[in-house]
Amino acid sequence: MPPAQVAYVELQVTSNFTFLEGASHAKELVETAAALGHTAIAVTDRNSLAGIVRAHQAAEEFGIRLVVGCRLDFQDRPSLLCFPTDRAAYGRLSSLLTEGKRRAPKGECHLRHADLATSVQGQILVMIPPDAPSPEFTEWVRKDAQTFGRSYFLAAQHLYRGDDVQRIAWLSAIAQGAGTRLVATNDVLYHLPARRALQDVLACIRLKCTIETAGLRLQAHAERHLKPAAEMARLFRRQPDALAAGVEIAERCRFNLKELKYEYPDEVPPDRTPQQELEIRLRAALEQRYGSDIPPGVTVQVDHELKLVEQRGYAAYFLTVHDIVSYARSRDILCQGRGSAANSAICYFLGITAVDPIKNGLLFERFISMARDEPPDIDVDFAHERREEVIQHIYAKYGRDRAGLAATVISYRMRSAVREVGKVMGLSVDAVAALNKSIWGWSTEALRDTQLAEIGLDPTEPRLARTLALAHELVGFPRHLSQHVGGFVITRGPLAEMVPVMNAAMEDRTNIEWDKDDLDAVGMLKIDVLGLGMLTCIDKAFVLAKQHHDHALTLASVPQDVREVYGMLQRADTVGVFQIESRAQMSMLPRLKPKMFYDLVIEVAIVRPGPIQGDMVHPYLRRREGKEKVDYVKPELEAVLSKTLGVPLFQEQAMKIAIIAAGFTPTEADELRRAMATFKRNGLIGSFETKFIEGMIRNGYPRDFAERCFSQIKGFSTYGFPESHAASFALLVYISAWLKWRYPDVFACALLNSQPMGFYAPAQIVRDAKDHGVEVRPVDVNHSAWDCTLEPAAGATKALRLGFREVKGFPEASAVKLVAARGAGYARPADLVRRAGLGRGALETLARADAFRSVGLDRRAALWAVKGMEEGDLPLFAALDGKLAEEPDVELPVMPIGEHVAEDYGTTGLSLKRHPLGLLRARMAARGIEPCRALSSIHDGRRTTVLRPGHHPAAAGHGERRRVRDARRRNRDRQYRRLVDRVRKIPSHGHDRTSPRRARAGAEGRARHPCRRRRADRSLGRTRPARRTAAADSGPRRRGAPSRP
Amino acid sequence: MVAAATVGNRRLLVAVDPAAAQAGLAPGLTLGDARARQPDLIVCEADPAGDAAALTRLADWCGHYTPWTSTEGEDGIWLDLTGCVPLFPSEQVLAEDLLARLRQRGIACRAAIADTPGAAWALARFGAMPETGARVVPPGAARGALADLPVAALRLPPEITHELRRLGLRRIGTLYGLPRAPLTPRFGETVARRLDQALGLVEEPISPRRPVEPRLARRAFAEPIVAPEDLQRATKLLLEQLCKMLDREGLGARRLELCCYRVDYRVERVAIGTSRPSRDPTHLMRLFERQIETIAPELGIEIMQLRALEAEAMAPDQLGFDRADPCDPAAPLIDRLANRLGSANVQRLVPVASHVPERAMRAVPALVAPRALGSWPAGRPRPIRLLEYPDPIEVMALVPDDPPLNFRWRRMLHRVRHAEGPERIAAEWWLDPAAAGEDGTRDYYRVEDEAGRRFWLYRRGLYRAETVPRWFLHGFFP
Repeated sequence: MPPAQVAYVELQVTSNFTFLEGASHAKELVETAAALGHTAIAVTDRNSLAGIVRAHQAAEEFGIRLVVGCRLDFQDRPSLLCFPTDRAAYGRLSSLLTEGKRRAPKGECHLRHADLATSVQGQILVMIPPDAPSPEFTEWVRKDAQTFGRSYFLAAQHLYRGDDVQRIAWLSAIAQGAGTRLVATNDVLYHLPARRALQDVLACIRLKCTIETAGLRLQAHAERHLKPAAEMARLFRRQPDALAAGVEIAERCRFNLKELKYEYPDEVPPDRTPQQELEIRLRAALEQRYGSDIPPGVTVQVDHELKLVEQRGYAAYFLTVHDIVSYARSRDILCQGRGSAANSAICYFLGITAVDPIKNGLLFERFISMARDEPPDIDVDFAHERREEVIQHIYAKYGRDRAGLAATVISYRMRSAVREVGKVMGLSVDAVAALNKSIWGWSTEALRDTQLAEIGLDPTEPRLARTLALAHELVGFPRHLSQHVGGFVITRGPLAEMVPVMNAAMEDRTNIEWDKDDLDAVGMLKIDVLGLGMLTCIDKAFVLAKQHHDHALTLASVPQDVREVYGMLQRADTVGVFQIESRAQMSMLPRLKPKMFYDLVIEVAIVRPGPIQGDMVHPYLRRREGKEKVDYVKPELEAVLSKTLGVPLFQEQAMKIAIIAAGFTPTEADELRRAMATFKRNGLIGSFETKFIEGMIRNGYPRDFAERCFSQIKGFSTYGFPESHAASFALLVYISAWLKWRYPDVFACALLNSQPMGFYAPAQIVRDAKDHGVEVRPVDVNHSAWDCTLEPAAGATKALRLGFREVKGFPEASAVKLVAARGAGYARPADLVRRAGLGRGALETLARADAFRSVGLDRRAALWAVKGMEEGDLPLFAALDGKLAEEPDVELPVMPIGEHVAEDYGTTGLSLKRHPLGLLRARMAARGIEPCRALSSIHDGRRTTVLRPGHHPAAAGHGERRRVRDARRRNRDRQYRRLVDRVRKIPSHGHDRTSPRRARAGAEGRARHPCRRRRADRSLGRTRPARRTAAADSGPRRRGAPSRP
Repeated sequence: MVAAATVGNRRLLVAVDPAAAQAGLAPGLTLGDARARQPDLIVCEADPAGDAAALTRLADWCGHYTPWTSTEGEDGIWLDLTGCVPLFPSEQVLAEDLLARLRQRGIACRAAIADTPGAAWALARFGAMPETGARVVPPGAARGALADLPVAALRLPPEITHELRRLGLRRIGTLYGLPRAPLTPRFGETVARRLDQALGLVEEPISPRRPVEPRLARRAFAEPIVAPEDLQRATKLLLEQLCKMLDREGLGARRLELCCYRVDYRVERVAIGTSRPSRDPTHLMRLFERQIETIAPELGIEIMQLRALEAEAMAPDQLGFDRADPCDPAAPLIDRLANRLGSANVQRLVPVASHVPERAMRAVPALVAPRALGSWPAGRPRPIRLLEYPDPIEVMALVPDDPPLNFRWRRMLHRVRHAEGPERIAAEWWLDPAAAGEDGTRDYYRVEDEAGRRFWLYRRGLYRAETVPRWFLHGFFP
């Protein structure tokens, strides 16, 4: 037997970043290798370094050395393992992969053996032998060995196919003949033999077959796991040198990921350091704002920040962001920083963020602190329709070799895992569908037995049980890499030497292989270039305001603290206003009654799942209304919580409580914050619980208070805002609200032209505009453009002319042609064909949308006329005015108004003619149905009947998904049911024939008011005792329902 | 209860029963939505091919009433009753009789009789029905009966129906008064044609379903035959005739039936099968030879009829171009054995993709073996004979996984001279969860003893210090 102390390093390890092949996380592999006493381990994914950072982190954690490498799969040769020995070689490997990936479609890498020539210096190469011997292979090895010399090895594995002894002897002979050496590996696919099942399932997913039909394509045994050194020594007892060769390779590959020194790009004049440049730019900005007399508070804060920035060496990062923002400004692209950057006065004065952190008392340390060795994160929102310009600017300025998007690792969640594994295990489509339905969207948690029983599945059935167990194992496995929404990495040197760059699915985009956590781990900075629909809307509104009301505006020049704006918000008149337009927000506004900017910050932060789950909303409201005493328990918390009346609403506050009350160090508090910020680390937060609660008890807080505090903090783990982020958003809330109040016409027009965005569809936006006295005009071939436009009108506001963008199925290009050829106007449908060159299909679309009214044709007449036109271009006849042969006149039946309204909704999603319910009013009255508005004047205790919205999904007509989903949502709404249960139920198919959907939508709008407030209570986790009758609810009276036609 | 099918990548309802229809479910709805409305829904998989076959059978059955029947769409049947009505007291009675019989079989149905197929179709599907579910339009009354029906009753594509409705032309009656000229450029000639067909202004033939022509050869004899050699000769002639027919169609017979109609009105039948399609009269004759001997002609056979019960496509023969016979040389042998011993008694092994040796093949009747047998995996030597139940053996071997030095099987000691292995094969965890893991794993060795006999041995379970390994003999190599 070999001596007990043999050394072995596994050099051929496939992690799950070789998608659908490797069956273990890098961390599991590294941990197992450490436990087995290996001194080092390599991770060699196929043509990828995507998992290497995770492996590196794990190696640090478990005290084992990581040999960085990858498996190069060639198109024309057997694969090679490649291990860079130093930083430069790593750069060459990364560049090689980049080259292969850039020439291949997303997710693939096309390499040929010849590509290796330029990047081979400093690499150690290990040839992986093919399954069957071939003379070609012997020749390749001989040639390669000559070319690469001492850095070239030949791998040998025990495959347990019965012929291992002969095969390895054959390999050994080849190696000897070529003058190279054999390296023992085990071609590891998983860390433990028990993972074989999952590996089989992964293979089936990859091969798109079931486990029954996969057959010989699966591995025959479970040997491809990490093995102890002694076992490897025994297997290779005839080739003891093969183990030593592996150890030698590991020894020679000293490259550590920590050597990746991230260097900020610096675009400064040659005689200045980035820090000097930053100070100069900042001073200029301050002078521009304050002149020579800078408030002392500002100087102190700015100096403090500059000092920290200098110590951490982040100046170049600020300059880069400033450059990008300046570019956007120069192109009139609205932008605004969000997130923790708003804590920084530097960002504020450089114009990156728009909230004054000094005025709002925001905490710079949340952004950068000495305690944390973590790069700051500046996120900037740009107008969403123009963000691409900024992205292309970054590529143009820094070059594709220096800028790339971060990756997002798309991982299996419970739902996708169950779907894929269920398919492989041969569960029926219906069983998988049933399982999926009982899994909450993004959940990573396993299904409980009771849940299975509920959907009629037997949890003890072995196949089902195994499927669920395997699915559970699969959860968290990476499935593919996608591009981050906008996280840019910019480097000073070539980016490809840091990390492989690959093509993204979108044209003209490239992204790197690492995601944001990986970037954090290697200390690389990213700048988030995000798109925000509301900025587009505000941008368009500013242009329209200038054009039609001669009022030039910028984000900074919008008048602050206008009382009427807050008055409007208090009435919950917020359709279209940023963030606070949702129903939950609307229900909160009349109770929170925002009076100043900071109230908006709270409003934005409070109606979030985090605070709601943490039960922070009602205590806050009670205290705000003065119904409850503000209690800080101990005075030390007053400083932290006074702004929010003793209720923690922001991440920063949670952190400070942890520090002050629970005795966390700032670093621990930050870990807690990170655990809060990402829900995927759900498991992590639990470990803080004991520490937090015990800490608070030690510091003299009552246990129940401590537990409540923690449960509030846990609420953040799903969703919570940092205060600075809420403040940045609150600013946009105010600006959009101001626009809505001052120029409802401009606001509605801009909002429509920025669709899709926000919470409401065009129909609601138009309706809201009408409620605010804006005249809305229909789409018309002689008046509309692609976008909605404003036209002169009699009143204070302009009239809103709907654009062709509202017409479903009418392309923008056609609209442009139509407008360009309009001239003095079109007199008949045929003119559009002749002058604008539109096809009959486009004309039919317009006719259906009733856009020929100015020509004197209603939709039916227009459709008849359009349909009668000759297909195709007839240039000879075009000269003739009118048709060659006069047609006999046809008397078409007149279209009833109800049908017109239904068609309006079908083609443009809204109708300006009548409200659908208005058409049914008489019929309803005849049946004794009261309008909801009447509820406020009906005697208490009387039995009455109101229309139940969404009574039955079947009433929605033929299963259009969206409608049914709406109906389902409404059915879920218990508040509704409670209202309805107290009154007689009326099926709503009565008006099916006209327009079921619209009738219901309208009815809902009407019926919603009395119960809206109460429904919101429910959504906020509070239940109120049911009242006796619907009429007793005074909701609408107090709130003042908007007027309806 | 509903039937669902996968259309594209969505699961849609394709049929609903009355209870489901009552609950507001209709074909075209997605299954997810249907379940949301009716959580206790019973769903079965739609079987369009089965439905079509059943409808065809039903159409054939309707041959009671008229020889001219034909299927219509997915759920309709045409009956051309011209000239058939006199067999019944009236058209109404005929229709009611038909419906009553169908209802007896549990089929929900409506029927209409009219002057034209178009009118009958419209009324059967859209018309108001009397209680019996059968409506008869007296001759010449179609125009009036159709006026109130929706335009969809004209058998128009849904797009056109939709367009007509948009223009306010909802009822067939509104089309009567319309000038024809402007209709055509707008809707093509379909609308006008369908209208004319329904009103009987243009002819519309119904193409009847004709049963598929059976592939058969038939011979009637002037004088009943009795002698075995006459039977043989007649069979040969019939085979030649049939093989010519098959050749024309590019088919080969897999199953043939010979019926001999005796003068005493009894029928003697014999049948043969082949392992691959064949239209070689000599080969087929050889298969028949033995069978014919079993036929008892008694007083004589008047008619002989040979039918190909099953035929498959077969490429035209190319003979003699290449020396190598492209056919499976075992085929004629299999045919002869199978026809003598019974097709179930002659089997052959076909490969199954599995690493586990005893699961890696499957015995199927040689005659019905699929034509593409699949290939046996190369590079994994497998014994020519595999024991159904591996025999336990006593083995002396070095631990943990060296090949045996010697083994004792059925009290005989075999010294191992040459050995190869191990080949490690783990149990298939999805079939046998208990055996999965180390204990279900086998290490196979190919060994040769001093006498030159070669065996396939395995050790069950991976080596563990505390347990004595169990060894088995699983097969023999030649």
